[in-house]
Order: sequence, then structure tokens, then C-alpha cells
Amino acid sequence: MASSAVRAQVAAKWQESFNRLNRNEPGISGLLAFSEAWTLATEFLRPRDLNDPTPRKQYDLNQVRVAFGVIGECRRLPVMMEVFLEDMRKSQHLITREVEVHMALYESNSDPESIRTLVYRLVEWYDTWKPTTDLGSTIISAYTLAFQTHLFSVLPPSFARGIKALISATLERIICQSQDPQDRVLWQAFDTLSLIDRYETLIASIGYEIIESHVKETCAGKWAEPMLGTLRTWMIDKIVPWMLYPFARGATNADEAKTMMQGVGSRFDFHMHKTLCTLRTNEMFDIIVDFPDSTGALQDLKECLARVDQRADLVHALRRAINKRLLHPGADTKDILTQYVSTIKCLRIVDPPGVLLFKVADPIRRYLRDRPDTIRCIVASLVGDGESEDSLVDENEPIQPLQQPEMENYSDPDWNPEPIDAGPDFRASKSSDIISTIVSIYDTKDLFVKELQVLLAQRLLAVKDGNIDRERRNVEILKIRFGEAALQVCEVMLRDMTDSRRIDQHVQSQKASQMHPTIISRHFWPALESSDMVMPGQFQILQEQYAKEFSVFKPDKVLRWLPHLGRVHLQLELDDRTLEADVPPLEAAFIELFSENDIWTVDELVLRVGSVTRTAAIKALATWVDMHVLKEDSEGVFRLLNVAEGPTPESRPQILKPVAGELPPVMSVQQQQAEQMKIYWKFIEGMLTNLGSLPLDRIQTMLKFAPGYDRTVEQLGGFMEAARREGLVSVKDGMWRLGK
Amino acid sequence: MKVHIKHWSAVAQWRWNTGNTAHDQDDEGDVCGICRVPYEGCCPSCKMPGDDCPLIWGECSHVFHMHCLLKWLGTAASKQQCPMDRRAWVTAERKANDPSSTTVS
Repeated sequence: MASSAVRAQVAAKWQESFNRLNRNEPGISGLLAFSEAWTLATEFLRPRDLNDPTPRKQYDLNQVRVAFGVIGECRRLPVMMEVFLEDMRKSQHLITREVEVHMALYESNSDPESIRTLVYRLVEWYDTWKPTTDLGSTIISAYTLAFQTHLFSVLPPSFARGIKALISATLERIICQSQDPQDRVLWQAFDTLSLIDRYETLIASIGYEIIESHVKETCAGKWAEPMLGTLRTWMIDKIVPWMLYPFARGATNADEAKTMMQGVGSRFDFHMHKTLCTLRTNEMFDIIVDFPDSTGALQDLKECLARVDQRADLVHALRRAINKRLLHPGADTKDILTQYVSTIKCLRIVDPPGVLLFKVADPIRRYLRDRPDTIRCIVASLVGDGESEDSLVDENEPIQPLQQPEMENYSDPDWNPEPIDAGPDFRASKSSDIISTIVSIYDTKDLFVKELQVLLAQRLLAVKDGNIDRERRNVEILKIRFGEAALQVCEVMLRDMTDSRRIDQHVQSQKASQMHPTIISRHFWPALESSDMVMPGQFQILQEQYAKEFSVFKPDKVLRWLPHLGRVHLQLELDDRTLEADVPPLEAAFIELFSENDIWTVDELVLRVGSVTRTAAIKALATWVDMHVLKEDSEGVFRLLNVAEGPTPESRPQILKPVAGELPPVMSVQQQQAEQMKIYWKFIEGMLTNLGSLPLDRIQTMLKFAPGYDRTVEQLGGFMEAARREGLVSVKDGMWRLGK
Repeated sequence: MKVHIKHWSAVAQWRWNTGNTAHDQDDEGDVCGICRVPYEGCCPSCKMPGDDCPLIWGECSHVFHMHCLLKWLGTAASKQQCPMDRRAWVTAERKANDPSSTTVS
């Protein structure tokens, strides 16, 4: 079949191969030598089982090298490599078993140390099987690749968890300053098995996690100092040394290491900022509450926001917190205002252009506008009502006129466009004046001036010692803010106060009087509720005397009393005691009437003083009852206690009841029910008289026949219990009977 | 029982004694015929009411803010007449009412 040409070709090939192996040695000695060398080399390279107890055969390395030389000469090295890899493949079950054994151990005890043992063991395997470096890098890299391919294919998923724990431990050791020389070895082992490359994301995640937990641990709730600096130092001190292992391995000098770590380093740095930013974002509401003790946190946040784009998140989170925690009916208007002012101040620090503030403030402003008492609150804090220590207005802030929103000046060389995230209706408030911002909640400042006037009136009329310096100062301050013209009315009010004192001094010098009236200019004071009350007895005499003196002093003016306003300081001289009281005029009028007569009914009293409501009258009488000067003998009839009487237990609540409500005396639901129950008591009494003792449900059943009875057994039970306490009925084993 | 008043900080309003008792009872009060501002207010050129912006009485029984009237008399068109009834303006002597009747309680 085969042609001679083919035969000749095969023979030539054969001859060529033979010659190559025989290397022109005499006979077949070359062939033999090659065969020997091959055997030695493959034997030397064959992967051996580490667990094999027989000691490793010692090779003369020179011989081995010679053998490699022979094989190389015959250009048989690639074949030898294939054989070696094949051998290795056959031995791979050893590795598999090793991995399985250790992973089983790890899974049973979750101790990262078993992972460490495994890693070391694997390195041992790797090193044992590794061909000598004489064979060149090609064969070593082929070997490494084959080894790793197999290794990675057999590593179970739990290995990732294990190695993570192991690496975290190294990081923690660095953080705790307890450097373990073992770690260097471990990282080298990782490197040998190229585990670092494979698990790079995992290693990075360890970094992220530790940064996250550290930031949360050290910064949460600590707002006084800026934390970023400390965090950066921490990163440099703790994280960077650790990062050197996985991310800068093989670096020969610091510069090189720096370049290698640049990428991951900036990612870590970013992550730190992001974590802090998220943390502060979530804490923002409380940071604002704590302001100004939380300035540090705000500076941090500002810096973080410059790096991390989370402004939208901040707005969102803060708005949500404000909606949830602030803008609900349970919150005091004053608190809302305080928080609003703090928000303004805080966000000014975080974001000077004011975009964040604009976005956050909008719902607060809308909410405040809807609250009825907002203006009152603002005005009260404008003048500083003395009770609250933290006034909305910063004392140190220069007082300045209210600022009107100004138009953009485009010819300004420093003009800047609005920030990129500003909405279409964003109005840059260049002013830093809090009051202007608050007042701008409303479209007009007239409302404020009106409210201010009312407040000033209340405070002036409440002034007792005639010292109005404080009010004068407030008005002066407010004049700067609201303008002179707006506060002209207040100026008149203040002058009325001083004039009143001057007039009073003059009148007193002419004819001393216990009366020291405040004479006001009507039309300049807010509408004071008018009253046709007539002061009785010596009060009227005093009024007339004073008015007379006034008309002498100011011949073209007359006085018109507002008898229901003011306060009277009285001394009551009773038979057994003397007491002093500082009371409103109505109270004084009543007690004056009681000096004429010891017993009065409410209606008679009301008739004497003129138009006062019954409720007001009862309230005024209750004041005296509380002081044990009067006593309500029966409803609407009051008697003067010339001699003190101890308050009887049942009399007190009776009197206090009408006082409790300002509304016309309407019986409460409970009172009405009790009243009805009195009717049914007659039925019950009859039942128990006729039938002896009855259980509760029998009584209930029978009462149901009564017209209009709609009580439940429980209500009946409660009523019967009340009757028992009064001794009307008694109960034994659930049977009710009359009497004890 | 005896009631001693130690101190009474009362409140009162002052009114011009225009001799018109009906006006005293009237809550709205009369207005100056020139500026239409109540007597107890002040004329447009004043800021403080009361003694700083007094009234002026005419023999014709008309009453104005003094500043308003003087301004009126200062104009040529006034011919020194009362703006209400066009009689020659004669400032009345202050009517001294019986002080006892000035009290309105």
C-alpha cells in the first residue's frame, strides 16, 4: 500500500528523531542517556503526597540539572512539561482532599485559624510541587496557573467567609497596635496563592466595613468637634499600614507604594466621607436641635457634601424628619420657630448659598403661616419675653432693618449664577438676618406691628412699678427693624405711660390718693374690651376725686375710666384676721359690696356692678372663696366669713365646678347621668324593699322595664358600688340588699 | 369687715372736654372737621396726641385741631372764616365747665 516515497519519508523522520535523541552519540548510548535523564527528571518533578510518610528521596541537584540539560538539548522540555502537568492533574485529588478536610473543620468551628492552617498548607503543597526555577519561567507560570485553576475550582464558597474573617483579624490587630509578625507571612502566603487578586473586592469590603463601623462608633452623636480630622488621622495610622499588605505588595519604596495605593486609597477616603455624610444626614434633625453645640458636625457635613453628592439626600431626610417630628399639632409654635431658626443657622454653615435651606425651609414656612399663633410667638420673641432664655434673636447679632428681597444685580462683577441644584423658584437670600427671614414668612409686616402693639399694651398695663425702660428699649430695637413710622403708635403708648406718671405725681401732690391710674390715648392703643362696670363704694369716690384733680390739672381734658382693667391691692380687716390681696377690679368691687352686707346672691352682685357676665362674677367670687373670705352657702348665695371657717370637704368642689369652665354653666355629661340615675334609684330601692336581696343582672333586667333606661350592667354596677360607699346598700356574694 | 385700698393701678382714657357730654358717651368720638381725624387723635402733621396737638374752640361752637385750623386760616381762601359755617373765626375763651360734671365713670 504505502508507496516507497512514504516509506522513505517515515524513515527520514525516524532517523531525524533518533538523531535528535541520540545526539550523535555512538550507538544508542545517547538514547540511553536521554532515557535515564527523562526518568530522573520526571521522577524529580512528580508531585508527591505531603502526607506520604516516606521521607523524600534526596536528589543530587547537579544530576537533576544535567538531566534537564539533556532533555533540553533534545528539545523534549515541552513534552516533559506536559507530562508533569498531567502528573499534577492526577495528584490534584490530594489538594482537593486537603481543602475539604480543612473546610469541614472550619465549617464546624468557624475558627478562621483553620483557614490560616489551610492557606499555609496549600502554600506548602504549592512549593513542594513547584518545578525548579532552572526550568525557566514558562513552566513555572504554567504550573502556577494549573495549580490555581484547580485550587479555585475546589474552594467552597465558605472559604470566602473564612478568609474575610482572617483578614479582618489582621486589620484589627493593626488597629490595636499589636503587630503580629505572622501577618506578614500570611499575606505572603496569600500572595503566593494569588488569593489577593482573586479576593480583592472582598478585601476592599473589609476596609469599607471597618471604616463604616469606626465612623459610626466614634462619630455618632458626637457633634461638638469636627471629626473629619481625627478620622483622617485614624485612616493614616490604621488603615494605610494594613493596606500596604494587599494593595502595595511588591512596592520597593514609599513613593511606589503610594502610587499603587492611590486608587484604593481614594476609594476608602471617599467611603469614609460618605459614611460620615450619611450618618450626619440621618442625625441632622438632632444636630439642629443641639445647635450651637453641634457646630463641629456641621463643618464636617459641609466638607463631606463637597466630596459626596448627597445634598438631595440631606434635604429629603431632613424634610422627612421635620415633617415627622416638628410639623404636627403636638409641637409648640415656639419650638417650631426655635427649630426653624436653628435650621437657618445650621444650613447656612453647611451650605452658604442657601439652596438647601430654601428647600428645607419651605414646608416649615408654609406650616407656620397656617398656625394662628405664629405671629404672636415671633413678636414675643422679638421683644424677648424674659421667660425664655433662648430667644430667637441672637443678642450679639447687630440689629438691622428688615431686608427686602433685592433684585439680582447682573452688572455686579462678583455675580454668580444660582447653584446647580437650585429650583426654579429659588430666591437667594443674601441676608443673614434671621428676623428678616422669619418676618418674610408673611407677605406683610403690618401684621407684626399690630400684634406688637397688642403685646406692648398688655405688658405696659401689667407694669406695676412704672418702670418701662425695658419696653422702651424693645420699642427702640424694633424701630430699627420695622422702621420709625410703623412703630409711631407704640411711641405714643410709651409716652402715655410717662405722662401718666407725671400727672399722677402732680395729682398726688395736690391730694394724695391710693389711686395711680394709667391714662391712655385712645385710638393709639389696641382696642381694649370695653365694659360698663361701675365700681361701688369707696372705689367710686376715689375715681371721682381723682378725675376732679385731673380736670383741675388739665382743664380741657376729662377722664373716662376703664374700671375693668388694672389691679387693686387691698387690705381686708375681718373680725379675726387681716389679709392682703392683689386682685382684679371686679374682685375688689365684690368685696367692697360685702363690706356693706354679709350675704349676697350672685345676681344681686352683678346688678350692683353693672354689666359683667355671670361666669366672670362667679370666677371673681371663687377667688375670694379660695382665700376663705367668702363661702357659698347654697348655690349662688355667698356669705362673708367674718370669722374663719375651715373648708368643709363637700363645699369646695361645688364651688370650684363653675369656675373650672369659662363657658356658661352647663352640666357635664357625668352630672347629667348621675341626675338621671337618681330617678332609677327609686326603682331600685323599691325592688330591694319588696324582694329582699337581688343579684345585679336581676336588677338590670327589671330596670329595663323602666322608661328610658339605657344603662349597661357595668354602669349599673358602678352606680350600685357608689351607693354602697354611701351606705345605702350592701352586697354579699353578689346579692345586693338595702342598708348595712 | 373693712376694706382698705392700698394701691389701685387703674386705667383710664382721656378725652377732650368739648363740653359736649353726648360726645363723651359716644364711643366713636367726634372728628375734626378739617382732617377728619378724631379729636383724641392727632392732626396729620403731628405725631403725638394730647397736649402736643391741642384743640381750638371757636365762638361758633366748632372745634378743630388747632394745627389744622391755623393751617386753614393761613391760606388766602379761608378769609379768616370758620370752615364749617363761614362765620368769621373767633377763638373762644376756654369754656370752663363745672369740674364735677366732667367725670365720666
